Amino acid sequence: MNFSEYILMALASLKANKMRAFLTMLGIIIGISAVITITTMGNIMRKTVKDAYSSVGANAINIYIRLKEKPKRNYYEDGDFLTDSMIEQFAEKFSGRVDNVGKEENVGNAVTRINHKDYTLSLDGADEGYSVLSMSKIISGRFISDSDVSRMKQVCVISDKQANKMFGNANPLGQTVTIMFKNKTYDFKVVGIYKYTTSGAASGAMSAMDSSWNTRIFIPISTAQRIAGYDTIGRYWEFYLNGAESENVEQLSQDIVDYFNSTYYRNNDSIEVKYYTAEREMQQFDNILSVVSIIISIIAGISLLVGGIGVMNIMLVSVTERTREIGVRKALGAPNTAIRLQFIIESMIICLIGGIIGIILGIILGNIAGMIIDTMSAPSIPAIIIAVTFSMAIGVFFGYYPANKAAKLDPIEALRYE
Amino acid sequence: MSDNKPVIDMRSIVKSFYVGTPNELEILHGLSFTVPKGEFVSVVGASGSGKSTLMNIIGALDRPTLGQYFLDGTDISKTDDKTLSEIRNKKIGFVFQTFNLISRTTALKNVELPMLYAGKGKRERTEKAKELLEMVEMTERMSHMPNELSGGQKQRIAIARAMANDPSIILADEPTGALDSKTGRLVMDIFHKLHREQGKTIVLITHNNELAAETDRIITLADGNIISDIDNRPNLKHSENSVKLNKDGDI
Repeated sequence: MNFSEYILMALASLKANKMRAFLTMLGIIIGISAVITITTMGNIMRKTVKDAYSSVGANAINIYIRLKEKPKRNYYEDGDFLTDSMIEQFAEKFSGRVDNVGKEENVGNAVTRINHKDYTLSLDGADEGYSVLSMSKIISGRFISDSDVSRMKQVCVISDKQANKMFGNANPLGQTVTIMFKNKTYDFKVVGIYKYTTSGAASGAMSAMDSSWNTRIFIPISTAQRIAGYDTIGRYWEFYLNGAESENVEQLSQDIVDYFNSTYYRNNDSIEVKYYTAEREMQQFDNILSVVSIIISIIAGISLLVGGIGVMNIMLVSVTERTREIGVRKALGAPNTAIRLQFIIESMIICLIGGIIGIILGIILGNIAGMIIDTMSAPSIPAIIIAVTFSMAIGVFFGYYPANKAAKLDPIEALRYE
Repeated sequence: MSDNKPVIDMRSIVKSFYVGTPNELEILHGLSFTVPKGEFVSVVGASGSGKSTLMNIIGALDRPTLGQYFLDGTDISKTDDKTLSEIRNKKIGFVFQTFNLISRTTALKNVELPMLYAGKGKRERTEKAKELLEMVEMTERMSHMPNELSGGQKQRIAIARAMANDPSIILADEPTGALDSKTGRLVMDIFHKLHREQGKTIVLITHNNELAAETDRIITLADGNIISDIDNRPNLKHSENSVKLNKDGDI
């Protein structure tokens, strides 16, 4: 008796009990779809983050100050901050090893009124060096310049989307954007337009998932600090740079941090300089994702276990119901192995169909979740292969006991069974 | 028949069941008989006579506790389960009182089933099954499901199925027991036809004396012993050891 005969036989018996077969599959469907959903979503998120990083370059480095692990004081003093001269000297010292050095500081949200409607803008102070780091593609005009910063000019760079909303088809360059910030009104002259993207950009790489990023408006960093009401202008929490092509990002970052700490913070008992890289963020993201994956996998595993027990239960019922049929088959010459195989294949098919439905459902659910962040993704092929193999394995594992019970039935008893 | 080697050769068959040690229940007390090829024999007896137990042994569903059973010349009293199922498949054709068709498959597939277990190819199976269905005049119903068939039709399918692997014996257990007399007649006629035209060895288990009277030979069981073995062929009526039976099959 060949395999296809067993499969046809199994399908015939499942067809006779469609509803029951479906309910039995449910546990398997839920388990498999959970795994596929999470792997699909993971792929989508990883892809999104990777895209964002690849636009900023994997060699982007963020240098920042923070309190030491055991600080003498837990607040910042004037002398703790990074200054223009520190950053300038650093850039000179590391010239050749670093490509762009730029400062950026988000001072908060401002409001602008367009056609009697308020829009929130993310007010972003930046300097010329940040132009490349921002990866905001300038499509007309220019980015913030160093002279804008030194002269504390009220100029801005806005997204094409915002420009379109505010000025329609008119040339936005030279137009005025009025913003309300901290209860005051300021006029900014538009000097440049950047291309709006969905996946964020720049140190946006560091916050690619933050949708508010898309509404950001760049102004000179000195202007930003002034209107934010800082006592001293020209002090920074952090700055950004790109490592030169030939540099090892981790090594370069470590060298920079060592330079700052030994030059400026040797005697500071509470503050130190640290670094942060896109690469490291990616790793952290992967770590979070793998923790989530593990949790979902455990849930899915429990669901599959319960599903498998359900399959075993229904197969036991099926064996009992079909005791007489088993007796007849044996009387007609079916060896024990044929009976065993018949029931194992039946339980395998329940699990396999459940697994396939689960995979399809998982892909759909994963992509629905993906649509929220505007990215579609195919599920990982290994995940599908594992899911199919695993569901069949469940079928064999949980089908074996009932099948063996069927195979070992005494034909005389079975034939007599009412 | 030119071949006079018996199809069934039972030698001192004892069957006991353990109903809790040390007691054991002996059902068959050392039966011996032979059935030559081509004989249509009936086994009669009241319930509890050991009829079913004997049938199970003849049908290779069970092994005797003691004694030897040669089926077609091979001793099957000590074989393993796998061999027994092979013997059932190739040498025995069962016909049951309650038909026992597989409910989820068509008449044709039911007839094919023993050939499936015999490992025959699809084309061969279908061809042979159609041939057998034609023999029992069920060709038109071959794609029907068992629940779409009447009792008589089911039993005809079951007979076709019993013939699938061209077995040495057809073992029919009360084949008309669930049928009205008219359809029962029809089924009996098929057995007679198989016996007459194809020279099939048929063992009919029944408690209906009228049916038994139609066969070549009547073996009567009571309390696990053969109490009579009558040659019932018209030209050789009533051999010496014949015992008169009343209507119920009791002595």
